[in-house]
Amino acid sequence: MFDWLTAEAVEALAKGVGFTLGLTLVTTVSSMVLGLAIGAARMNSARRFQIPARSFIEVFRNVPALIQIIFWAFAVPNLFSASRRRTIFFDNPLIDLLGDLTTLAIPYYGAAACLGLTLNSSAYIAELFRAGVGTIPIEQLDASRSLGASRRVAFRSVVLPGGVRAAFPAISTRLIHNMKNTALASFVAVPELFHEIEGSINATFRATEFLMLGAVLYLGLSALMSLVLDRADATLHRGQRSRRYGVGHV
Amino acid sequence: MSDQVDFIIRNIPNLLVGFPGQRPGGLLLSVVLAISGIGLGFCVALAVGSATTSRWRVLRTVASGYIWLFRGVPLILLLLIVHNIFSTGKIGVETSSFQSALIALVLYSSAYQASIVAAGLRAVPAILVEDARLLGASARKAWQTVQLPYGLRVMRPALVSQAISLFKDTSVVVVLGVADLTTTARIALGSDIENAPYWVATYLTVGFLYFLVATALSQLATPASGPEQVGKSGLVSSLGTTI
Repeated sequence: MFDWLTAEAVEALAKGVGFTLGLTLVTTVSSMVLGLAIGAARMNSARRFQIPARSFIEVFRNVPALIQIIFWAFAVPNLFSASRRRTIFFDNPLIDLLGDLTTLAIPYYGAAACLGLTLNSSAYIAELFRAGVGTIPIEQLDASRSLGASRRVAFRSVVLPGGVRAAFPAISTRLIHNMKNTALASFVAVPELFHEIEGSINATFRATEFLMLGAVLYLGLSALMSLVLDRADATLHRGQRSRRYGVGHV
Repeated sequence: MSDQVDFIIRNIPNLLVGFPGQRPGGLLLSVVLAISGIGLGFCVALAVGSATTSRWRVLRTVASGYIWLFRGVPLILLLLIVHNIFSTGKIGVETSSFQSALIALVLYSSAYQASIVAAGLRAVPAILVEDARLLGASARKAWQTVQLPYGLRVMRPALVSQAISLFKDTSVVVVLGVADLTTTARIALGSDIENAPYWVATYLTVGFLYFLVATALSQLATPASGPEQVGKSGLVSSLGTTI
């Protein structure tokens, strides 16, 4: 019954799952960091922060992730002449190091996929973070400021944790969406799970079997990711109640 | 520079409505796919989303299974699965790439919309439904006249952003070769090395077209702040506080 599942296919799919997890991990961390920074800039009262942040969010949220990935991977290198393109994108010590670390045949394409996915997700996360900050009771901020906290301290100890905590369920949904979007990296020859499924189908002509197996694997990855994010959510909410009462008494 | 402009100008009609002889294609086809995916998806979502609040456990389980299944798989994989099942005549039908793409988009968007519908229905204060029932409405009548209209208002912003999201996701149908905007751009560029200088300009144009429609959709959907909106939110919030 499972004769189609050859040792080569298992190996290819295992490698694919590894790359999907790797891409997911890298883009989750980078889009959280970038997204919170952009979100903070968007809420800054200074226009020189607000306007660039706003443009970033509008542009990278409203262009499909697939277009962004193809743009960075295939289009941008064409801006340079053939010889310079080679040294900038495909053949230099940094790219070689990246190739050694990731075992990717063309490391630049992997980096371009990460860039596209990160810009797309961080634009969403920035907006979700802003919405989360909007739910923080204004008294909390007033209280921290009147207790002598500087704007920086108030941001770090009230706005950032409160905003992330409130927005976390929505951010989780987005991060799971981002995990599924890593399948788009197959368009730029990154050997992640979807790419390996297509490869196995081409090698064996057993489309139905490998597509179903792919669906099961992605469902497993989604379930795993929501489990991890639920844990993170629980950690974020630990001790929150007592803190909220504390503020109430102030 | 000017040859880049020439290339874009030459291809703009193709990007907008498709290559001659293959129309509708391009952006127009992307919009058609998105609208039909969202519209048909919403009908399915109403049923599935309402089923998650059903009294019968079987219905609830089936509905949440549906949502879990079609939200847990990347759209690109779902497209291939649907095409593999429906285009090969295995179950008595043979769909075209376009039809397969449409089925996959409906399944995908209906799962997302169903979870929005489920959340929206749950946000309806139980006492409103109970009042309707006390006044003699049947369960169906209460759903029709109280739960759904109230819930839809709560769901609206989330449904709009889901619609915009699906419009952008239609770019993935390129995997089935459906002649949408992304596919048209890929065909226009081809594998010809001569076209290499035009890649950036073409993808900037394509990105801009998606951006334009997505932004227009979100602008259309955000009601201008006027007396009507204040009245509406006032109603919702006053209902919320009195209950």
